[in-house]
Amino acid sequence: MNAEIKFDFAECFEKLSGVAHAVPSEKAAVDEIISIITSKEAKCVALANLPKKLVTAIEKRCDGIKVLKEPYAAETLPAAIDEADVGITGIAFAIAQSGTLVETTTNDAVRLVSALTPTYIGVLRKADIVNRFEDGSARIREIVKEHDENLVISFISGPSRTGDIELKLTLGVHGPGEAHAVIIGK
Amino acid sequence: MTTQRYERLYEKIDASLKDRSASDALLRCMKRGRDTRAAALETLPGGTAFRNDVRKAKERCIEDLPRLKKQFIENVEKRGAKVFEAKTPADVIKYCIDLAKERGATHLAKSKSLTTEEIELNRPLMDAGIDVVETDLGELIIQLVNEKPFHLVFPSVHKMAPEVAKIFEKATGKPVEGNIPSIMKVVRKYLRPIFLNAEIGMTGANIGIAETGAICIETNEGNARNVSSIGKCHICVMGMEKIVETIEDAMLMILAHPVSASGQLPTTYVTWMHGRNPLGEGDGKNARESHIIILDNGRTEMRDDPDYRESLYCIRCGACMNVCPTSGIVGGHTFGHIYPGPMGICWTAAVHGLETAGNFAPLCISCGLCKEICPAIIDMPHMIAEIKHRDAKKHGYPLPNKVMMGADKAARLGSVTAAVANFSLNTRAIRKLMDKTIGLSADRNVPPFTYPTFMQRFKDHRLKVVAPQRKVAFFVDVYANYNDPDLGMAAVRQLEALDCEVVLPPQDASGYPFIAYGDLDRARKTAAGNVAKLFPYANQGYDIVSIEPTATYSLAESYPHLLKNNNASRRVADHTHELFEYLNKLEEDTGNAPMSRSLKGRKFGFHIPCHQRALGSGHGAIEWLRRRGAEVEVIETGTCCGMGGTFGLKAGLLGHKLSMAVGDALFDLFKAAEIDAIVTESSVCKIQLAEGTGLEVFHPLQLL
Ligand code: SF4
Ligand code: SF4
Repeated sequence: MNAEIKFDFAECFEKLSGVAHAVPSEKAAVDEIISIITSKEAKCVALANLPKKLVTAIEKRCDGIKVLKEPYAAETLPAAIDEADVGITGIAFAIAQSGTLVETTTNDAVRLVSALTPTYIGVLRKADIVNRFEDGSARIREIVKEHDENLVISFISGPSRTGDIELKLTLGVHGPGEAHAVIIGK
Repeated sequence: MTTQRYERLYEKIDASLKDRSASDALLRCMKRGRDTRAAALETLPGGTAFRNDVRKAKERCIEDLPRLKKQFIENVEKRGAKVFEAKTPADVIKYCIDLAKERGATHLAKSKSLTTEEIELNRPLMDAGIDVVETDLGELIIQLVNEKPFHLVFPSVHKMAPEVAKIFEKATGKPVEGNIPSIMKVVRKYLRPIFLNAEIGMTGANIGIAETGAICIETNEGNARNVSSIGKCHICVMGMEKIVETIEDAMLMILAHPVSASGQLPTTYVTWMHGRNPLGEGDGKNARESHIIILDNGRTEMRDDPDYRESLYCIRCGACMNVCPTSGIVGGHTFGHIYPGPMGICWTAAVHGLETAGNFAPLCISCGLCKEICPAIIDMPHMIAEIKHRDAKKHGYPLPNKVMMGADKAARLGSVTAAVANFSLNTRAIRKLMDKTIGLSADRNVPPFTYPTFMQRFKDHRLKVVAPQRKVAFFVDVYANYNDPDLGMAAVRQLEALDCEVVLPPQDASGYPFIAYGDLDRARKTAAGNVAKLFPYANQGYDIVSIEPTATYSLAESYPHLLKNNNASRRVADHTHELFEYLNKLEEDTGNAPMSRSLKGRKFGFHIPCHQRALGSGHGAIEWLRRRGAEVEVIETGTCCGMGGTFGLKAGLLGHKLSMAVGDALFDLFKAAEIDAIVTESSVCKIQLAEGTGLEVFHPLQLL
């Protein structure tokens, strides 16, 4: 009976104070990303873990905005990424039930892009959304199998939050205060 | 327990009762935790079923720990991280200091880790010239004022915004406005360079996965992401009990932990680290390292000790703290050493010594609620009883506890000498004397003794059922026997009216106070005695029906535990029923619905005694009253009324006073409710609620 419940990723992500944007195509995704960047009046944007095509398309539209992208030279880190106002990373898969974006990487520069920036955008394909939380296990096992050595998997379920003062929910204490998910697919 | 020890505890309780600002904040925090948990469980497929899964997974992984640890270590090393197995806190300290020295590192950023707090790691590192900064906001606040956590999940919950602002003013040397948004901006700015310049990032681990060699770190703030990604050197300090077998196990824990703590599924960030990633390009493969320190510090002994082993199932969610009645009033500084709350008693005993745990274990009133909320269903109430027991072997039992453990004998005497005893109980001067000498609170309205007792009256009772359909062995316990035989007889008549043959097997009082005050020798003896007496009845097809929730809990939950689940105790437990749930069932089976709706138009507020939460949560009595036309509303705070069995009958701070403070919130709810009276099945909760609310309190049977 439980297996029948179909969770809606966007709804669950937004319950966690995230913002979900469903777009039909990569082109529309770029439009959406640019509109977020513009609305934040970003001067510097950091990209990681994204398909080359998408990087080029975003870069093209970032007139007058500094775009940081891979490869990141080790000696410039972490300071370089700390400069960025918006961080955008590609997402391996997402979990609908918990509103979770799952980012996987073998380079921690990627993690800094999604961790240090005040506004974060995760980009994923609609087909890569699994339904239940436990459905994530099989995907994780596949990913882990593909890597014999170092690998970091990060669950990101909304913006950084704390309730440490008077239990009042406050966003963005260390990490992004805003988290967006751009979901590509019809 | 020595007088000196008691006095220290009294002082602390007294201070928390005098200044309620911290406990008010804590109570809000606990309530929020319980409410959000309950709300999350509403939407979680399967509801609380995950608790059984967590329990099973933990049982399996701890049983198999030596093998899983080996597998975990092999996999961690395959992925390029280093492992150090530390036996003692000193081993961890030395390893970290040596490593920092070798790397020439002096800046260490830390994310929250209870395990490093357990071994008080920060101080020696700082003494060795390493600048250690906690980056979890709550932990940072605590570090800046040099305190210990007040709550497991919200360590600084007792600090209000203006005070926090002052703390950061001192830390930054700049004025900070006393509102949360301003403080957050200051914190972000204050910590950013600390993250960026850290040479060592130190984290704990919520989970280690044997199958893959991964560690999982859960945070909401995201500080562990920064800490684990920036510094060249990463150190993770984890307790060895955190190792699970598979990815599925890890996913289960990642869900169970925040659901239980704050109703989230999962925390905002969960970082699964396998080995160590490079940071950017061009630094060479070995530029960055990760060291995983697996701490023992008494865990092997815990695993080998059947009475302590379950502690290792703890996933540090803090839910037990959100429900513990006395911990909520006195806070984690009094109800705790480093580990606070219910699990704090168990873990303190195991890693910081029995003596230290014994200093605050008397605060546990054995209500059983921690077990009911725990995602791993850890039997803390019994584990704590064991700790009290071991402690008492050394220090003895304080007099008031001895008195309460002898309450059954006293009641027997009181009943025989009812007139004299009641005269004493009603005489102020004598009560004051009893307060001072034996510790029975003079302010308590204790129920009078009656003679003859229920047992004596039952002897003269002739069976009124012509063709009995069922056989009931009635269990009566202290109150209905000595104080209110009418109630016992009313229960018998109800059963007989539904064609039951009722017998009264030989029996002793349930003896729960022995568990509550930690005299497990006598608790076991009583359990074995009662089980031996009841077992033949269970075997002959009698249903055991008990009228007092704590007695039912003893028969159904405590005795099997005390008797190591032996066959007889299991059988007695399986045959034990709560009175009203049993009556309802009989009414359904016999088609004998109540004739009159005699309670129509009356509205009652129902109180669920704590021990009943492990049983049917009062559903039986509520349904029974509703069938008679009554309107019944459960009124609850989600925790205890404060009586805690006989705890609240005791005089003073570790009795009546603390008990009333615990009950306050519930009293307010009852007083504000539009009800005719309060109904509860527990004889002791009844005393508490009558005193606390000034309302009438009835047992359901008294309403007919
Ligand atoms: S049994 Fe009750 S009083 Fe004792 S630790 Fe558990 S919740 Fe607290
Ligand atoms: S004992 Fe249970 S409820 Fe308490 S912190 Fe541990 S897992 Fe959570």
